[in-house]
Amino acid sequence: MRDAVHAEWTKLRTVPSSGWLLIAIIALTVGVSALATSIVKCPGTCDADTTKLSLTGIMLGQAAVAAIAVVVVTAEYGTGMIRVSLAAVPRRSVLLAAKAVMVTAVVLVAGSISVLGSVLAGRTQLPGNGFTAARGFEALSLLHGPTLRAAAGSVLYLVLIGLFTLGISTALRDAGLTTAVVLGFLYVVPLISYVIISPVWQRRLDRWAPTNAGLAIQATRNLGKLPIGPWAGLGVLGLWTAAALAGGWLVLRLRDA
Amino acid sequence: MTMTPTTSYQSSGPAGRDGFGQLLRSEWIKLRTVRGWVIAIIVAAALTAVIPIALAGTATSNDPVTCAHGICQAEGQVVATGPAGDAVTDSFYFVHQALAGDGTITARVSALHGSSAPQHLPPGFAPPPSIEPWAKAGLMIKASTKPGSAYAAVMLTGGHGVRMQYDFTHDVAGSAASASWLRLTRTGDTITGYESTDGRQWTAIGTAVLTGLPATAQVGMFAASPPFIDAIGTGDSTVPVGTQVAATVSHLALTDSASSWVATAVGAQSPGAGNGNGNGKVHCKLGNCVGPPGQTAGSVRTSGGTFTVAGSGDVAPFEPIVDPLHVTFFGTLFGLIALIALGALFVTAEYRRGMIRTTVTASPRRGRILVAKALVIGVVAFAAGLVGAAIALPIASHKLVANGWTLPVWPTLSLTSGIGLRVVLGTAAIAAVAAILGLAAGAIFRRSTGAIIATTGLVVVPVILAVVLPLTTGTWLLRITPAAAFSLQSGVPRYSQVSNVCAPYHSCFPLAPWSGFAVLCAWAAVALAGAIYLLRRRDV
Repeated sequence: MRDAVHAEWTKLRTVPSSGWLLIAIIALTVGVSALATSIVKCPGTCDADTTKLSLTGIMLGQAAVAAIAVVVVTAEYGTGMIRVSLAAVPRRSVLLAAKAVMVTAVVLVAGSISVLGSVLAGRTQLPGNGFTAARGFEALSLLHGPTLRAAAGSVLYLVLIGLFTLGISTALRDAGLTTAVVLGFLYVVPLISYVIISPVWQRRLDRWAPTNAGLAIQATRNLGKLPIGPWAGLGVLGLWTAAALAGGWLVLRLRDA
Repeated sequence: MTMTPTTSYQSSGPAGRDGFGQLLRSEWIKLRTVRGWVIAIIVAAALTAVIPIALAGTATSNDPVTCAHGICQAEGQVVATGPAGDAVTDSFYFVHQALAGDGTITARVSALHGSSAPQHLPPGFAPPPSIEPWAKAGLMIKASTKPGSAYAAVMLTGGHGVRMQYDFTHDVAGSAASASWLRLTRTGDTITGYESTDGRQWTAIGTAVLTGLPATAQVGMFAASPPFIDAIGTGDSTVPVGTQVAATVSHLALTDSASSWVATAVGAQSPGAGNGNGNGKVHCKLGNCVGPPGQTAGSVRTSGGTFTVAGSGDVAPFEPIVDPLHVTFFGTLFGLIALIALGALFVTAEYRRGMIRTTVTASPRRGRILVAKALVIGVVAFAAGLVGAAIALPIASHKLVANGWTLPVWPTLSLTSGIGLRVVLGTAAIAAVAAILGLAAGAIFRRSTGAIIATTGLVVVPVILAVVLPLTTGTWLLRITPAAAFSLQSGVPRYSQVSNVCAPYHSCFPLAPWSGFAVLCAWAAVALAGAIYLLRRRDV
């Protein structure tokens, strides 16, 4: 297993696109978060969830996370490298596990930097926009329980999105197809849940769609009104991820490479 | 990829031809012989049809339109039915008398004065400006005082100069003057509006044909000022503030002024209006006329031949806030992403397989390769979008009507109605140009994942950001990114002469449909030019 992980690390670090994608995760997440916290203002009394607001960039950073998870698998199928990998690591569950470990490690590092950068941007910018302690908005701090949960949970969210994509890539094998399917989950489903007219369906999507439920982990205010609790929501994403990985593992075992 | 070698051996072909047709044909063969791509096209068309239909099925209106005696209630507002059967707002203060047959009314209208109801605004909301930009006062000829009846009017406005408006949807700009002589002339069914700076030299603003205008129409002075609406946050919280406008009208002259002036608060909700008595008007003698509690309908005062007419309300088309068809058509985004992916793969697959070297050998003029590919993928994506949307629209529209989104407020859209046709063609056109954008990104990145994510990031992600970010930023994003093109899928007509808040939260796009599409086309053109430049410059 250690050798398999080491082999995955070598493959990942020697592909030029990996470095760019890691930079993209951090730049997109911190950039969009900083943009959001610089333009949202509190003119008097307001009810904004400043922690969630400072983590807005996760919505864009997740695309780069998905890209890494797609490349890790589909590049091997595209070049025929997968046959060499399987010759070296014949136990397919070990190969998939090694890839999962690699994606988890890389996204943990890049995701933590991104989230810390985002929280820092919120901490420095929000008080200037009217989110002051006098109005009930303490400066963002990871010592604050719910904020710590939202920040750590956002990193976990990115990891789960990476593993979810890894599972789908392993099942589908084709880069274009996987990317299209994952983007549908990451962007079109949440967009439809925002604008959909039926409150019943809105609630269903918010509870059971992977990204909507997973992002509940970022909420720190009005927790009683959430369609799904923070940890329960991340759990729903975990179930989607488990299902995707199981599907990928099944296809990897049953189908010729 | 199965490959049919296109020979560059030219001697059997017509001499001197550049072979672009051949290039197109070879690109078409490349596309249709990859089984996975053909399946992708069919799946994209199917998704474009099925998901909007499913969304329409869930879109139950919890506030259906209720109508009695031609006056309807929708979204908490009073809506009348205009001459063309569409929903209109028709509430204003009218000082009028009957005019039998042809005639002319002339008056000088001096600067307008606006005021607003004193109201304690929640923090963050801007107070109304001193005068609402679409506050209006001037002269009007109207079939009757019944709300929704045909009319033509020349007017001064708070911020848009002199206008001639008629039958609610028509709006013709005159000069930018803030005080002016105005004139309306009736000849049969034709009403001509004039303006003048001195009362002697007259300039025609426009001509209205009001078919079926009764022989005796009501003619006179009017004033209306729509509520000022400010929105904060994502645009989901709005506070309307009632406003009023007052105009001083002098040198009033009317052909055959036989009777005296009567003041009517057209469309004001009198206490009896709710149970269907009358048409909801407050009829007053000359003097102060006060509407129902909490709302001053308007007033008129005379002093030595000069009238001061004040009123609130609006004479304009009614724009609903909720656009159920547009919400439904967001379901086409799944098919759109599939077509974007196909556009990207159409190039990146050539790099992956090394096919690109054969392609550039066969057609050494590389720019043309991408142009041929763009044409092929554009036509194919257009066809897929067209088939999907043409199936989706009638069924989705039928389901929306069944769910309570009914006339007069929400037009019933079919493939032959103007808006319906625009939505269907627009969906196909967006698919075509977005696929070309995907193709260009594919040629720039040479990797499918990066190209698909970048294109989706440009086309789809701004819509999500616009929904969650504050209104001003969201609107700005939807003006400059390719997402502007989704205004083509708007299912309700939008008019520039209506004051409203266009919130992405309510799936309202700031640009007019085809202008928004032009933004997407510009992005695709720039990306394609960049891709051609890189293809020529780089090794394959």
